[in-house]
Amino acid sequence: MSLCEAEKTFILHGVEENFRNDGRERSQYRPMELETNIVAHAFGSARLRLANTDVLVAVKIEVDVPTIDQPSEGKIEFFVDCSANATPDFEGRGGEDLAMEIMNSLTNAYKSTKAFNLSKLCILKGRKCWKLMVDILLLECGGNLYDAVSLAVKAALWHTEIPRVLSVNLDGNNVELEVSEKIHDCIKLDVTSAPIMVTISKIGEHCVVDPSSAEEQCATAAVVVAISQNRFTTILQTGSGSLHPNTLIESLTLGSQIASQLDTALIEVLQQKSGEKPIGFLL
Amino acid sequence: MPNDNRRINGPENTLSYRLFSNSNPHSNVQKKIKDIFKNNTRPSERNFSEQRKIFLKCGVVSQAKGSAYFEVDNTKVIVSVYDPREIPKKTDYSLKGELYCVFKFAPFSCPTRRGYQQDAEEKQNSAILKRALESAVCRHKFPNFQVDVYVLVLENDGSALSAAITAAGVALAQAGIPMYDTITAATLGVQGSHKIVDPNLEEETLCNVAVYKNEGEKKYESHGIIILSMLSTHEQVSELYQTGNLSLDTINAAINILSKATKEIVPLVEKCLVNHVTKNLKTDVED
Repeated sequence: MSLCEAEKTFILHGVEENFRNDGRERSQYRPMELETNIVAHAFGSARLRLANTDVLVAVKIEVDVPTIDQPSEGKIEFFVDCSANATPDFEGRGGEDLAMEIMNSLTNAYKSTKAFNLSKLCILKGRKCWKLMVDILLLECGGNLYDAVSLAVKAALWHTEIPRVLSVNLDGNNVELEVSEKIHDCIKLDVTSAPIMVTISKIGEHCVVDPSSAEEQCATAAVVVAISQNRFTTILQTGSGSLHPNTLIESLTLGSQIASQLDTALIEVLQQKSGEKPIGFLL
Repeated sequence: MPNDNRRINGPENTLSYRLFSNSNPHSNVQKKIKDIFKNNTRPSERNFSEQRKIFLKCGVVSQAKGSAYFEVDNTKVIVSVYDPREIPKKTDYSLKGELYCVFKFAPFSCPTRRGYQQDAEEKQNSAILKRALESAVCRHKFPNFQVDVYVLVLENDGSALSAAITAAGVALAQAGIPMYDTITAATLGVQGSHKIVDPNLEEETLCNVAVYKNEGEKKYESHGIIILSMLSTHEQVSELYQTGNLSLDTINAAINILSKATKEIVPLVEKCLVNHVTKNLKTDVED
């Protein structure tokens, strides 16, 4: 979808009046819908729909060997799949660059020990650790991918259950793990400080959050910030525009405010969800 | 990963011996940082806001339309820029020209060997480089064409990406690609309350880890690396890239420090280009 000049001007004027074409204010998000634990074979999963953006995240766990640099830490890896179902632009290798960008920004955002502590994923120092494989599937693109993906990832990690390891035996050079036989005897991850990403687009003279795909086309520049407990873990400027240092600082401030609001809202919802009674006969 | 049969690949599973020696940058980081910053000096014995001396030369690759060589201490970067050419395998018409950027560490440039194929970090750096340069180049002047920018890091001693951005700006200008402004970039490392301009490799590794504020207390110090590229005359930030864990105040301060640092490089870039032009004019007159 590409816009003509008149349409772009219309959106621009709307942003100036603080009344965007879907009725929102500049710092307002579109309604979101979150479902969790919907993939049967995953250890934790979430689906987030933000207006027309639809993201499915599933977490799988494997036992791996920790790296020599960090012998007492586990691993986390992100994979993004831009399927051609999302938009025709992703056909063939079209989505590869975007997938790479999202993957790298997530990896960087989760890298700091302060934001996400990997040491709990260690089973035996230098020998065995858990590896979280976070698979992100973009089902539909309606703008603001970074925010949607980061929220869905956090929700999926919140519900991720790691099997409890009862004992670790060293037999010569072999490590033997004994995992609890009860399927609900699991450890939950602490993801309260996991980062949330917010995209701030500059349209005309103003900064807006959560741009729709039409608004993304009008933006002169965009900044993506990843915030974990009011602290920045990643900043990157996407798009081809540039910003004045003062505007940049302004948008960073806005981003950090919005992210903390979003974070509290998400955690509230997740806590409500985890209070629900599990249904089933295997308990 | 597809196997590259044309080149000699190392064995699949090998480890650098450095990991087991005392010079391993990852061992005893906590203690190292305490020791190093205790006397309020940096490992490289520079002032905290002091940049290293830069050597910059353009027109080093004769085959390329424009090229630049950037050396700062042991960080050595070569950039070559090739003529605009039609975008291969493109069906629709694009009004703006494209930049095709490849950032590559030479296999021998880092303590651990780099492969011939681009890894995730190099791909990420290519993307950052592209975004930084895009706002400096008048892309509407060459619609439906692409300009190739190849960056090769011969040796990495920290701040390689900012070196690459500055050098690529010079190479683009020398190649005669229309540009809005000179583009310069600088790197800042943060560890605790220390802000280190233009960190070397050792300082970069120290800034990448979170350490405890006090022994026994489970609170981490802030840490991180920030790269900023700037179009100096227009006062526009074309790319800001940050990793680590930093507060808003630190980032605001960092943006100020870095915009000053990028401005310090501008005269050097200008001088390099002017020298190149006068030299070319002289040879033209002699001919």
